[in-house]
Amino acid sequence: MKSTEMVARETDVLIIGGGFAGSWAALRAAELGARVILVDKAYVSRSGASTLSGGITTCPLDSDDIDVWAEEFITRGGYMCDQRWTYQLLEGQRARVKDYESWGVPISRDAEGNIRRFASRGMINVRGMQYQPKVAMRELRRRVLDLGVVILDRVCVTELITSDGQWPTSGSVAGAVGFNVHDGQFIVMRAKRTIIATGMIAMKGTHRVDNDTGDGVAMAFRAGARLVDMEFTFGGTFNVLMKRYDFPSYNVAIAHGARLINARGERFMEAIDPVRLERGELSQVVAAFAKQMIDGNGPVYIDLRHVDDTYWSDMAKIHRGGSILMSEHVPDPRVHPLPIEPTWGMWASGRSGLQIDLQGRTNIPGLLAAGSAAKNDATGTHASAGSPTAFCNVSGWHAGECAARESLEDQLPPTPTHVFNELREAAFAPLGKPVHEKSADALHDDLARLEASVVDGMVLSGDRLQAMLEVTRDVARLSGEIAAMDLHDLVKIHEARNVAECAGAVYQSGLDRHESREQFFREDYPMTDPSWFCWHGIRRGRDGVIMERLPFPTEGVRFPIRNLDSGLGRIGAIIRGETPKGGAP
Amino acid sequence: MTVDATTKIEIDPLTCTGCGLCILSCPADVIRLDEAAHKAVVAYGKDCQVCYLCEDDCPEHSITLSHDISNSRRFSTYDQFGLKI
Repeated sequence: MKSTEMVARETDVLIIGGGFAGSWAALRAAELGARVILVDKAYVSRSGASTLSGGITTCPLDSDDIDVWAEEFITRGGYMCDQRWTYQLLEGQRARVKDYESWGVPISRDAEGNIRRFASRGMINVRGMQYQPKVAMRELRRRVLDLGVVILDRVCVTELITSDGQWPTSGSVAGAVGFNVHDGQFIVMRAKRTIIATGMIAMKGTHRVDNDTGDGVAMAFRAGARLVDMEFTFGGTFNVLMKRYDFPSYNVAIAHGARLINARGERFMEAIDPVRLERGELSQVVAAFAKQMIDGNGPVYIDLRHVDDTYWSDMAKIHRGGSILMSEHVPDPRVHPLPIEPTWGMWASGRSGLQIDLQGRTNIPGLLAAGSAAKNDATGTHASAGSPTAFCNVSGWHAGECAARESLEDQLPPTPTHVFNELREAAFAPLGKPVHEKSADALHDDLARLEASVVDGMVLSGDRLQAMLEVTRDVARLSGEIAAMDLHDLVKIHEARNVAECAGAVYQSGLDRHESREQFFREDYPMTDPSWFCWHGIRRGRDGVIMERLPFPTEGVRFPIRNLDSGLGRIGAIIRGETPKGGAP
Repeated sequence: MTVDATTKIEIDPLTCTGCGLCILSCPADVIRLDEAAHKAVVAYGKDCQVCYLCEDDCPEHSITLSHDISNSRRFSTYDQFGLKI
């Protein structure tokens, strides 16, 4: 480490996280004339999940009837959303797709040159497009720099600054502090408005987004921000091929006609979702996989013999190095179905997170959020291909606009200066500690072990949730005791604390919910309870954690709210061999 | 379960020009510049998440990634159910 000198910066808008959400926020805020700092622990345009997001995004065009799309999002999400957000998402994404087109981002097109669209996984009417997220992110970086945004790459943000020096705060958020992960410079970033855009919460090593450790969500939670529906963070996706290899994109494969079959050659989704089949709601497809395993019908294979030719031609163009399918490591997938399996665990891409309003504001003054760090109120708990990235684009744009407008009419909040020194000491504390029997990697091992089994992770109980909660508490405590070998290690210790605190909120929320709904299934409470048809909040108060049940907004409702879910929860029904009831057809 | 320390990423020192693009690309901060040799080197190989961003961004095609999944924090359901793949 070269230095721990302190550098102070001031700005109108500070954005933490440089994926789609953060970059769109930066672009919009700078367009409106605000001074903007965009900070990321990696390199903006190559960080987080955005560049790795599979390359499908929701694609509403001018010719589409937005009412039809909105109704499908709202009903498939069980009306557990803010319908104003649904319309805002679709109208905003129309504009963002046009931006990507005008920027020359490669988009899969048909012979006539029109955007080739696919029925989105989980949907019937809603369409997505296949594009190159890496080029989109590169363009966003170039454009925000052109607008004068200050990008701070490789800065690990460790804590939000609060105006009263308290966590949780009774005042406002006034920026953040962090350190450069290469040279150790400590940076105080005072800001009139701060936007959390740090992406989803994932364990390190269980998905391929190892730096999405929920840092911003954890920091905001410590500052008193409300998280909602954290138990719906659970989810899964098919991403492991033949036990050893990363499968490039399930969403893309099934959009082109790939099928799932069991060891008997049966297309088992026919019995569970005869309309959407493999394109059904993802948690239910993963539950169907688990059922095949429990019933002795494994392995499950992805059958690519039926995909259209564009699957292979687009892959060659878009996924140059990354496809195991085009290598000699696996049997020819044009001839042989290949064993595939999902992961299941913390995989929040909008189903849970920081609660925001239509402008991206949280419950803490001065603090906004966007993208997968926030709860996606446009689609509720329903995961469909492409809507998370669309929400990143659109919520980022709105948060950037709101933060810019508000900051231009506001002053920097005063902050007690002793706070900065205390935050610096806290950030670097592990560097001075004696060697401990546990390493940073061991903490991440302990966390990842909680997601060891797809079946155990899906079939929850009070005892199991309590046991998992205890592990997260141990990891959070140990993160304050163990030693960092260098700055790279220091980052991983902060990440372990953040994952553990986010996971703790997930398990605590799950313990509080005495029912099963959507992808959340407790075998000790297998039935859906109508009294839980609400948002489920968790936040830190001065005297401990506060759990809340919050009604869905009735303002701006276009489709009368109905509680569709009843009886045995959907995951429970699949695991028990019944057809899921309720929900949209 | 332990973290697999096997390096999944190889950088060919003969063709690497030390341009540093791969260092920028890596989300997990695995690659650093050997300033004396002016070559990119794998500094924290066990943190490689096998995302291919460095391989894609290298103008000299000097980087080769194993196709093996990221690290051994992943678990196979097929092992849990005793199925051989």
